[in-house]
Amino acid sequence: MKKKMIFSEFFRNNGIVMGSLLFGLVSFWLIFLVILPQISMLDFSFRYNLPPAEQGGPKDVYTLSNYEHLLYGSDSTHQTYNTVDLMVFVRTIIAAMFVTVFNILLCYPMAYFLGQSRGSGFVRLLVVLLIIPYWINEILRAFALKIIFGDSGLLNEVLMFLHLTPQPIDFIRADIALYAGLGYAYILLMLFPMYNVIESLDRNQIEAARDMGASWIRIHRRIVIPHAKPGIASGSTMVFMLSAGALAAPQILGGPSSLWFTQLVYQWFNDSLNWQQGAAYAIVLLISTISIVLVMMKIFRVNMGDIGK
Amino acid sequence: MTTGVAVDLENVWITFGDFVAVREANVHINGGDFFSFLGPSGCGKTTILRAVSGFLDPSQGNILIGGNNMAGIGPNKRPTALIFQNLALFPLMKIWENISFSMEVAGASAAERRKRADELLDMIALDGQGDKLPSELSGGQKQRVAIARALCANPDVLLLDEPLSALDLKLRQHMRTELREIQQRVGITFIYITHDQGEALTMSDNVAVMKAGIIDQIDTGHTIYDSPSTPFVASFVGENNVFRGKIKEIKGEQALVSTNRSGDLLARITPTQLGKMNVGDDAMMFIRPEALALGKADAASHTTITANVVNEEFEGNVFSVFLEGGGGKSIKMATPNLGQAKISTTGKDLSLHYDANNAVVMPTGELASE
Amino acid sequence: MKSLNFARIALGAYLLIFFSYLLGPLVVMSMTAFNSASFPSVSPWACFTFEWYEVLWNDTAIRDGIYYSVIIGLGTVALSVSMGLAASIVLTQVWPRIRSTYYTLIIAPILVPGVVLGISTLVFWDRLGTFLGASDGSAVYSLFHNGIFLTILGQSAFIASYCMLVFVARLQRFDPGLTEAALDLGATHTQAFRKILLPFMRPAIASAAVLAFLASFENYNTTTFTIVKYKTLTTVLAQKVRLGINPSISSLAFIIILLTIFGALVFEAVARNKARKEQIKLGRTEEKKGGILPAFMQGNPAAFGFVLLSFIVIVMVGTAQKYDPSQCKIDVREAKKAEAAARMKELREQRLIQDQSDARQGPDIFGAPKTEPEAGQGSGTGAFGNVFDPGNLSDEKAPKSGTGAFGGVFDPTNLDETAPSE
Repeated sequence: MKKKMIFSEFFRNNGIVMGSLLFGLVSFWLIFLVILPQISMLDFSFRYNLPPAEQGGPKDVYTLSNYEHLLYGSDSTHQTYNTVDLMVFVRTIIAAMFVTVFNILLCYPMAYFLGQSRGSGFVRLLVVLLIIPYWINEILRAFALKIIFGDSGLLNEVLMFLHLTPQPIDFIRADIALYAGLGYAYILLMLFPMYNVIESLDRNQIEAARDMGASWIRIHRRIVIPHAKPGIASGSTMVFMLSAGALAAPQILGGPSSLWFTQLVYQWFNDSLNWQQGAAYAIVLLISTISIVLVMMKIFRVNMGDIGK
Repeated sequence: MTTGVAVDLENVWITFGDFVAVREANVHINGGDFFSFLGPSGCGKTTILRAVSGFLDPSQGNILIGGNNMAGIGPNKRPTALIFQNLALFPLMKIWENISFSMEVAGASAAERRKRADELLDMIALDGQGDKLPSELSGGQKQRVAIARALCANPDVLLLDEPLSALDLKLRQHMRTELREIQQRVGITFIYITHDQGEALTMSDNVAVMKAGIIDQIDTGHTIYDSPSTPFVASFVGENNVFRGKIKEIKGEQALVSTNRSGDLLARITPTQLGKMNVGDDAMMFIRPEALALGKADAASHTTITANVVNEEFEGNVFSVFLEGGGGKSIKMATPNLGQAKISTTGKDLSLHYDANNAVVMPTGELASE
Repeated sequence: MKSLNFARIALGAYLLIFFSYLLGPLVVMSMTAFNSASFPSVSPWACFTFEWYEVLWNDTAIRDGIYYSVIIGLGTVALSVSMGLAASIVLTQVWPRIRSTYYTLIIAPILVPGVVLGISTLVFWDRLGTFLGASDGSAVYSLFHNGIFLTILGQSAFIASYCMLVFVARLQRFDPGLTEAALDLGATHTQAFRKILLPFMRPAIASAAVLAFLASFENYNTTTFTIVKYKTLTTVLAQKVRLGINPSISSLAFIIILLTIFGALVFEAVARNKARKEQIKLGRTEEKKGGILPAFMQGNPAAFGFVLLSFIVIVMVGTAQKYDPSQCKIDVREAKKAEAAARMKELREQRLIQDQSDARQGPDIFGAPKTEPEAGQGSGTGAFGNVFDPGNLSDEKAPKSGTGAFGGVFDPTNLDETAPSE
């Protein structure tokens, strides 16, 4: 009854044509592009990888085997754990967290500097300079880092020229290139939300606190950071989710011995052609990353509404 | 000149969830009337206007325009045009496009629209300004454009939602006259929403005074001012001194009220309460500040009040004297400035006289809070 | 005073580090586009060259990639802008109690990893096709398995959220009274939308469209799953970068960087000009006349920068037509040959000595001579020695240049031929 009233009011406010158009577009998006595909993938992850002829047949039943594979590998007795894949998973999550923290620390001073200096020409120039790498393709940015971190890349040449190292350092095998690349790829998604909130902080608040004798550390801890919290949360969420879900940077900059979890998903799909297994891994990635974000939001008392500001 | 179209509200209730915004409104508005709804903010007057214009449906009851029931007819199909509180001029359209918007949506050619817009611009004395943007006009000019835009739709009823509230005092007074003139020229029904009693009284043929969703009184401005039917109307419209007491005696249309602070006072029973009041009833008596005049103490006449002067204010056209009544409440008296230097002396007693016909008595009720 | 100076130095150092981290890689990459060495590098600088632009121009895979990227970009813009706009309008009207749930739902696609969106789109439409009983070759089947169609849907799923955020910001400043006024004046809801809300939203629609197009153009994670048999620019690039490439990619990057700078300058110049005109209108600034610069560049460094940059690019393109680095390349090749010959000779001598010592000391340090030649090759090829770094996922190893360590290495077309075909 109540629902009916809401609907009729919606159409009353928008007219039949516009109302249907708005309603239709939003429903198409949410139902056909977001909800149903996710459900479909979830359903898929509980099925066997069968040849087309057997699909829908008696063998097409639900199974947990795709998830068991992540835990135990191909060991059907469940005696040994699938340490390779599990390690990749754990490493991906921890490294994504590390990248997020690295970005917070690197961006906070810059966000504060830009946000609190009055819009001088210099600051405008800096902001324009910041935006430029933002529009460069993610692949190309990873490629640029590869040029620098490669065996005979610029960094090694410089280090060797300065006699700081006798031999080229394998930055790629040491995953340094990967972490630098992930930090590099999403740094602006951390910077701009922070910058936006810090910009909205009234300078007088800082001056008042300073006037009352607060130290710089205290000013940041008690005034700037609490004010910037939604921006930090928004930036951290984006950076964490994008790093954990990154594919290009690990493919280009990752070491030969260490994979990123998304690469496993990619391999199941494109190399092994086992979509069901890939879907299961994707579900694990989705659920674990979202849960981590939600837990973090709870811990730091941030609302969903702050994200995207 | 058209004769105008009548608007009727028949037993209209408007509720939002548990909140009753309008309770049992029955109003008849004559065709061609300038009709005002007057009340404090939140009394439901804007809700009534939105119901008439079709932006919301009454929960119960009917709204008739020219005798036709408007239920289920959208705002774009009703013969009404609304002037919004913030005017809602389209900021990206030129003035002439704003004015002729109703013709544009009806599919008129640009030349036709331009012609009509120029006519209306002439009428509102803004000729030659058609190619400006709304942001380039002054407040009063925007006001007139909003009126022209509404009139361009040839509505049977023009609805105005406190359109003058954003203007400064001088302009507001000027626009009152102008609005009244426009209304008389076009001859259509105007329904005007305001919390400013000055606007309502100067412009309207009839006024409905509202309080918390209830219409207390519908009458001409004059009647409402002189013969309010409830304590709320008496205290909301204009200034009034209130005396609480009990009815001691009823003599025809007059009653003797024994007040708590000023003894027995004589007053006219307000017309709607004639024959309904009895001796011993709790009552409220109202005397306007300007109905009080300096006089001699004469307890037997029951039309004099003696009180202690607390303060005197000079307001240019009038002197206002505040006196301490017996109950501790202050009484205000207003006397025109006829060249006197001073009316009273602070701390001294002053005797005030009034005509019993200028005082009204009615049953106790809620007062308008200041 | 001293601490203030220290703070200034610290701030300067920090800014320097931050911007080197952000811009340094791009500068280095741009420079490699002008080095004739066949692997993108700057340090052993061979010859200044424009040849990589020619290589880029002749690369059909990249050209096809750009073509499909543009088509997908336009489709994504159309779909995600309209869905985002609808979602933001609904957000302003939605019943307060379901408002936060609804907001979570329309913001969530931003947070879902692109890989997951790609997979779920692929799986869902594949199964929907099967469910609808489409068999191979039918119209529905080919549509639901069409990489372009799927990529537009997969990308729009989250790009619509970005658009929605842009629209919500603008809608907050919209007075719903304007729509009511239009309705009151007899407009239909569609007319009110078209004549009132849409013009108001136009700037936001423009920026959302640009945002959506760029997001689509550079998307990799979702596209790599949904694109199926086609290739967009990004997936082509990813493949090239993974498999080892020549600096034509750098030249593409340099072009993109230039375009970005142009875009930023134009945007800034227009904004400044607008602000200045506003100021002049309000009488706060005088219109300057009779300066050396044309009016639109007055007090507008961005416009000045734009003109300067255009001039530089024109000069560069002009130079590229005339410039011929072949002599330099011959010199470099000769130098390399000489160097390599010397190195070979050295190695041979070393080996001789070692062989002698091995003969004397026994075979226990046999490893040394075995690794030496490899190292020799590595240093000889220098610049491109690590193109084929195993540090990528590629299952196929890029074939090593067949003509030996140096021959033909500097001929980019040669390398292109030997690059894995896709």
